Amino acid sequence: MYKYLLESIDGIQWFGIGSLLIFFCTFCFAAIRAFISPKEDMDRMARMPLED
Amino acid sequence: MNNIEQFQYDNKIVRAFGIASFVFALVGMLVGLIMALQMVMPELNLGPYLTFGRLRPLHTNAVIFAFVGNGIFMGVYYSLQRLVKARMWSDKLSWIHFWLWQVVILCAAITLPLGLTTSGEYSELIWPLDILITVVWVIFGVNMFGTILTRRESHLYVAIWFYIATWVTVAVLHIVRSLEMPVSWTESYPIFSGVQEALVQWWYGHNAVAFFLTTPYLGMMYYFLPKAANRPVFSYKLSIIHFWALIFIYIWAGPHHLLYTSLPDWVQSLGTVFSIMLIAPSWGGMLNGLLTLRGAWDRVANDPVLKFMVVAVIAYGMATFEGPMLSIKSVNAISHFTDWTIAHVHVGALGWNGFLTFGVLYWLWPRMYRTELYSKQLANVHFWVGTLGIIFYAVPLYFAGWTQALMWKEFTPEGTLAWGNFLDTVKQILPMYWLRVVGGTLFFVGTIIGVYNLYKTGAKGQFMANEATEAPARERRPAPLRAGEHWHRWIEGRPMQMLLWSTILIAIGGIVQIVPMVFVESQIPKISTVQPYTPLELTGRDLYIREGCVGCHSQMIRPFRDETERYGEYSKSGEYIYDRPFLWGSKRTGPDLWRQGGKYPDSWHYNHMLDPTTMSPGSIMPAYPHMLEDKLDLSDLPAKINVLRKLGTPYSKDFEKYAIGNAREQAQKIAKNLAEQGVKDQNIEDKEIVAMIAYLQRLGTDIKIHKQ
Repeated sequence: MYKYLLESIDGIQWFGIGSLLIFFCTFCFAAIRAFISPKEDMDRMARMPLED
Repeated sequence: MNNIEQFQYDNKIVRAFGIASFVFALVGMLVGLIMALQMVMPELNLGPYLTFGRLRPLHTNAVIFAFVGNGIFMGVYYSLQRLVKARMWSDKLSWIHFWLWQVVILCAAITLPLGLTTSGEYSELIWPLDILITVVWVIFGVNMFGTILTRRESHLYVAIWFYIATWVTVAVLHIVRSLEMPVSWTESYPIFSGVQEALVQWWYGHNAVAFFLTTPYLGMMYYFLPKAANRPVFSYKLSIIHFWALIFIYIWAGPHHLLYTSLPDWVQSLGTVFSIMLIAPSWGGMLNGLLTLRGAWDRVANDPVLKFMVVAVIAYGMATFEGPMLSIKSVNAISHFTDWTIAHVHVGALGWNGFLTFGVLYWLWPRMYRTELYSKQLANVHFWVGTLGIIFYAVPLYFAGWTQALMWKEFTPEGTLAWGNFLDTVKQILPMYWLRVVGGTLFFVGTIIGVYNLYKTGAKGQFMANEATEAPARERRPAPLRAGEHWHRWIEGRPMQMLLWSTILIAIGGIVQIVPMVFVESQIPKISTVQPYTPLELTGRDLYIREGCVGCHSQMIRPFRDETERYGEYSKSGEYIYDRPFLWGSKRTGPDLWRQGGKYPDSWHYNHMLDPTTMSPGSIMPAYPHMLEDKLDLSDLPAKINVLRKLGTPYSKDFEKYAIGNAREQAQKIAKNLAEQGVKDQNIEDKEIVAMIAYLQRLGTDIKIHKQ
């Protein structure tokens, strides 16, 4: 029955792939964004709670 | 160099939320303790208002929205001001926020024992309160964004990202979950029904845990843990990955609450996959918290604040490891509907939320009162009593869950259920329920000690309502960009962009899961024999909801050999299309009721509701004698029929005109049955019990093949 239900949605095959791709892109964005940031910036941000 | 501006932080609002948080901690835990006692001493169910079914939502709402909710606002109002170097945007809005939130809590404390509930877990409040919550949330948002937009610090620290994501996600969750059509000021029916509503509920329910109990507390962890340890967070880079990965993955995990149910397999699988992926960001965050203490572990031994925070973060790690494990279908087959889930959530609620709140309170109070903590020794006692409380609470319930699940599934060599009587499996675990009472009492006593300590700290100090400080005015001209910096600062340095991107990310998960379900529901092959409830059954169903029966009884038979053997044919999605709200439940303290209809004579139900132990000796179910005495109110039936028809239930035209007569007719039949079966009460057809019997006798019978 599930197969029938799924097949009735147009382009259902893209749902799973789309989800994975979106997650992959988000994760890459976060990882790249974190790793290319200059260390001094990161250190400055990390110290923010201690400087109020 | 910019002008140095002088301003003051508002501590008064922080103190108000802090006091509300620990007062409601006591209330929520006391209600929990009473319920734990009711499980082993059913005579403590003081009906009709203080039975387990009605207290259960009071307990969960008090802990989640009153204790933790006020804790969130305390943490946000303190840390946000300091991180953006600005006073809260509007003192007036701060106080409107505070008082309206307490009004919501007060109304919940009145309406829930009265049985006014929508029955959705953690979204039980009636629709006028849903609107009030929306108003409060908007006020909180305006005040928070007003503060952020008028900040003096251009960078937004990661804790603020968590606060922004919390705000937007809770807003989306609350609005979608509260889509309902009112019948009266206190009643409504949800827009979605059956399987569809189940998905929306657990998309909401799971993310209430994620974005109310977790993300704002992670924001607080990223602020208060470095403060208490007096060293920066271990890795700011890790915190960035933690944030983006966590908010994106969390939103997809809801369907793991519905494994092996009638929910389509693909949604279940999606929920499982994302739940397992959640380990990565969750543990990244936990390790980031723990490693912040590198080089400061010697202080943990002496500082109660750090002790509370360390155990909180460890509890977070335990709960977020266990959660994904419980989302694996084969594990879930054992854990679901048992006390394992209860143990799991209490590791999170008592350990993570409870201990982090206490840690923050112990850190904040002496600072706001410009004094030392009244007694470090008492704080240590609180810590140890509380820790023992968590252990005594959780460990017996793990054993209770495993024991009962294995008993449910055990077959004799002859192929029959080894424990055919459900009640025998309950009696087996009653000693564990007693130990849970011990654990809950210890935690409660610890909290009383904590409140006393904080009160004495306040009494010996002098409260600093407005904390004077100064900071350079914010540069309106953007600071020059460094190489590789521009594209992410476009989002993270600008709160509105951050809000937009957080919204897009969390919306994707909801849309991909819910939209096809809404679309698919119209395509679910209808089962021709499944019909809408009769007016009397509908009234009985609303009584079932009022009494909170769903807190202990499921209505979802999973396709397992033991369940079909014990309860009957497994549940089909097409059977629930007229169920508004769905009542699948998430815990079986009593047996599943989906195939209850026709199993026993009407008189059995009558006697069982009067005193469950007469039909099931040793039963721990509350008695409902008031249902045998209270008059059946059918006055709102026409309005109910009207609303349900608008929502798609195919009641015939003008049926509302005959609904009351139809109900009376069915009530007469049941009264006649009861009389024939030896129940001699006068005017029983006018009592609530007949509606309840009508509903229970209907359950799951639509697809039963009747013998000719």
